[in-house]
Amino acid sequence: MSVTQAIILGVFLVILEEGFIYTVPKNSPMFIGLLIGLVLGDVKQAIIIGAAIQAIYLGFIAPGGNIPADTRIAAFIAIPIALINDLEPTVAVSLAVPAGLLGVLMHSVRRTLNGTFVHMADKYAEEANIKGIKRAAYLYPGLLVALIYFVPMTLAMYYGPTVVNVILDSIPEWFIHGLSVAGGILPALGFAITITVIGKKEIIPYFIVGFLLTKIATNVNTITLSIFGLFFAYLHVLFSKGDSSSEGGII
Amino acid sequence: MDKDKKNEVINEENEATEQKKVLTKKDLVKSWFRWINTVEFSSSFERLQSLTFVAWISPILEKLYKDKDDLVKALKRHLVFFNTEGSWGTLIHGITVAMEEENAISGKIPDEMIVNLKTGFMGPLAGIGDTVSWGTIIPIVTAFFLPMAAEGSIIGAIGPLLVVPLFTWTISYQLFMLGYKVGRNSIMEILRSGKIKQIINFAGVLGLFMMGVLSAQFVKMEPIVSYMISGEEVTLQSQLDSIIPGILPLSLVFLISYLITNKKVKQSKILIGVLIFSLITSYIGLF
Repeated sequence: MSVTQAIILGVFLVILEEGFIYTVPKNSPMFIGLLIGLVLGDVKQAIIIGAAIQAIYLGFIAPGGNIPADTRIAAFIAIPIALINDLEPTVAVSLAVPAGLLGVLMHSVRRTLNGTFVHMADKYAEEANIKGIKRAAYLYPGLLVALIYFVPMTLAMYYGPTVVNVILDSIPEWFIHGLSVAGGILPALGFAITITVIGKKEIIPYFIVGFLLTKIATNVNTITLSIFGLFFAYLHVLFSKGDSSSEGGII
Repeated sequence: MDKDKKNEVINEENEATEQKKVLTKKDLVKSWFRWINTVEFSSSFERLQSLTFVAWISPILEKLYKDKDDLVKALKRHLVFFNTEGSWGTLIHGITVAMEEENAISGKIPDEMIVNLKTGFMGPLAGIGDTVSWGTIIPIVTAFFLPMAAEGSIIGAIGPLLVVPLFTWTISYQLFMLGYKVGRNSIMEILRSGKIKQIINFAGVLGLFMMGVLSAQFVKMEPIVSYMISGEEVTLQSQLDSIIPGILPLSLVFLISYLITNKKVKQSKILIGVLIFSLITSYIGLF
């Protein structure tokens, strides 16, 4: 990776880290894979690695704004390493895990420092200074992100592939294979979290049906399977009408 | 009959304020857009989304309150602690704008009423938003494009960014406008009716089914151990498959979800646990 490439990726990371366009899944490792592939010149392989990492983070939500892992940092660190060193996508998944957790630490630093801007806004509110409030809400938090993420992450992306390559050369075969095994198991976490988020015990059988149907009908694609899903959902709602548990609202 | 009467009263109330509206549709659209773009932008541990909230509503307050003291009071009441889910929470924003407008005209709505309404609604709406937007819509749409991306397709990588907002932004925009239009009483009625629960149930069933489909495709856990049975070499994997295909990954997903729900184990601990487990089983040659 050249210095210029590392800087371009650093800018991309900062832009995504800012967090515009809420709910649009721009932090998805698949999309970040596309960005990295464009910069490093291998779009196809970068998206394949990104898709492997995506599966771990599928159902991640951030209750109270606390992110369980930073998918941006996970993808921006792991994908270039795997791409440049020609590693299996499953190994990339294992590399993504510690990077994503490191990202949580940085996110906490950011949210702690954001507290300063709230106090600034308190003062601006006393003076009815709307422009000041907007600066405290938009400009300063935005600059803060660039300040704490750009330099360390650009350096990590620049040196990461070389350093990891040296490490991989010196560690035993079973260790690398172990990372690959973990890469196969880790997606289970994303799916398990989605089950807990949906959180309704009585509809868990639908998960098992979806799983077994896919295992048996190996030549059926995901689109067709999702039509089955829609059908089950329709039947469920249709037949639970009038049932006492579906009566009444949420408050 | 009672309900109809109530609705009539509410409609009359709404019509009464309708005549004196200060805010234009453009004001509303612009403020919604400011919000959806910056929901978590300035989130802090201290007061979470309070700063974003005051920032998106401040131009509206500026337009409504010509008196400086009133404006200061209004700004300060929106700097208190606030946190909800950004796409479904906008129902609160719509109601808040309607209340502020009413207050600016009549001066009759007390401070606490606006603040209490915000804190009262933010929890339930965060619950729906996390479940439906983040727990169902985003995973399902992503899941739909994941197999394409796994083969290196650009459409697979970019698809979720184009499709998810069709749902979440429509919901967010519509709820904002609904909250503004129908007012707090009607909102209470909607939330108390069974409709919302049906939507959540539909999304839940579809979500769980799709997570099952994807678990079958993406979770890989195949032991490489083999042993001899009556002179023939048999792999442990083929033995397991003859019981239930994919029994290991299936049990694993449920084990993890049990650990998170019942044992309150942190997700980061599970991530590290899986890494250690994989290294050990790789070393002893089980996987």
